[in-house]
Amino acid sequence: MLEILTNLFALSIGAGFIGAISGLGGGVFIVPALVIFAHMPMKVAVGASLISVVATSAGASVAFVRDGWTNLKVAMVLECATVTGAVIGAYLAGVVPTVVLELLFAAMMLQSAYFTVTKHGDDILTKGDPLAERLEFSGDLPDPSGNMVHYEVVKVPQGGALMVVAGLMSGLLGIGSGALKVMAMDYIMHVPLKVSSATSNFMIGVTAGAGALVFLSRGDVATTIAAPVAIGVTAGALAGSRVLPHLKVESLRTVFVVILLLIAAEMGWRALSGI
Amino acid sequence: MPKQEEDRILRVWTPILLRTILIAAMIILVIGLVLTYTFAPDYYVQRYNAVQQGHLIGREKFDVLFERLRQGNPHAVLTIGLFVLTLVPLARVAFCFFLFIRERDYAFVAFTAYVLAGLIVGVLVGSVG
Repeated sequence: MLEILTNLFALSIGAGFIGAISGLGGGVFIVPALVIFAHMPMKVAVGASLISVVATSAGASVAFVRDGWTNLKVAMVLECATVTGAVIGAYLAGVVPTVVLELLFAAMMLQSAYFTVTKHGDDILTKGDPLAERLEFSGDLPDPSGNMVHYEVVKVPQGGALMVVAGLMSGLLGIGSGALKVMAMDYIMHVPLKVSSATSNFMIGVTAGAGALVFLSRGDVATTIAAPVAIGVTAGALAGSRVLPHLKVESLRTVFVVILLLIAAEMGWRALSGI
Repeated sequence: MPKQEEDRILRVWTPILLRTILIAAMIILVIGLVLTYTFAPDYYVQRYNAVQQGHLIGREKFDVLFERLRQGNPHAVLTIGLFVLTLVPLARVAFCFFLFIRERDYAFVAFTAYVLAGLIVGVLVGSVG
């Protein structure tokens, strides 16, 4: 038992650590780690990952919410979309063939790699659209010199539509879909990148929680796997967030992209070769 | 209640809520693993191998689960730990829901009610699916 637990802790701590320093979350790395190295069925890996994503989101959100980076109102409205997608996705995960899940996972890795390469600076708007203004989505954030900058938000329905897709992918594949959520908020709704990242992190808990509840209620969570994985990913994410301020993440970006592309290739190959 | 006060309550209490439930769940999971390692290591290895072959235990009824928990069954302790972990988002959304009711912010009462309903529907979908 000790050997199994050691292996599971090593995989999950590593996944949580890389997920935290890359900003992509532990789910992106723990699902392929369990499938490839622990030889777990995809469905088992997805169930365990969803549970661990709930834990890491809760842990990471604490500081972001307290320090005011998270836009709580944007999160609460967009969670309607992500929860809808996540429940549908988690239901479908029980009936969709594994080969489809593996191909979708490969596609999501490519999207995450693309997002990591193309992440750009903020395009702050001073005038929001009427719906965003009515929902009081605007906020303030400090610029590099410490002055507060006001931002407004636009295109809520379009952002919400992409959030349904993000929730769907989360429920299907056991990931937080943080890259997709940040893209929706940053690229479409013009929420500043750091606020988008913090808000996405906050939302991921509810999105993954919705999927996890479907899996748990269906009896599709393997307790023997999910329990050590949840502890390990949380510990890894905690360590990653402590190390993060001392790392030159920009210089690691290429490494993250290579890892994501390797995972995409491996999962795609597994799907097509029928392993 | 002014909007600033609502925002302050959310920013003070949400992290406390998240952290408290997360720590509670982690403590239960660690206790469950220690109990498993001490009293049922063979069962764990057997379950691990079965899961690798895709054989899951399946749905467990709550009354059976609590009865096994009362008997100190390590597997039941782990399962309860995972359920407590999934309470994190439920509790956070429920807290916001009641705060918005208190503030009579009905638009956000509706949004949080929808999310709460979605989480409950998730349990129902899993129970029948």
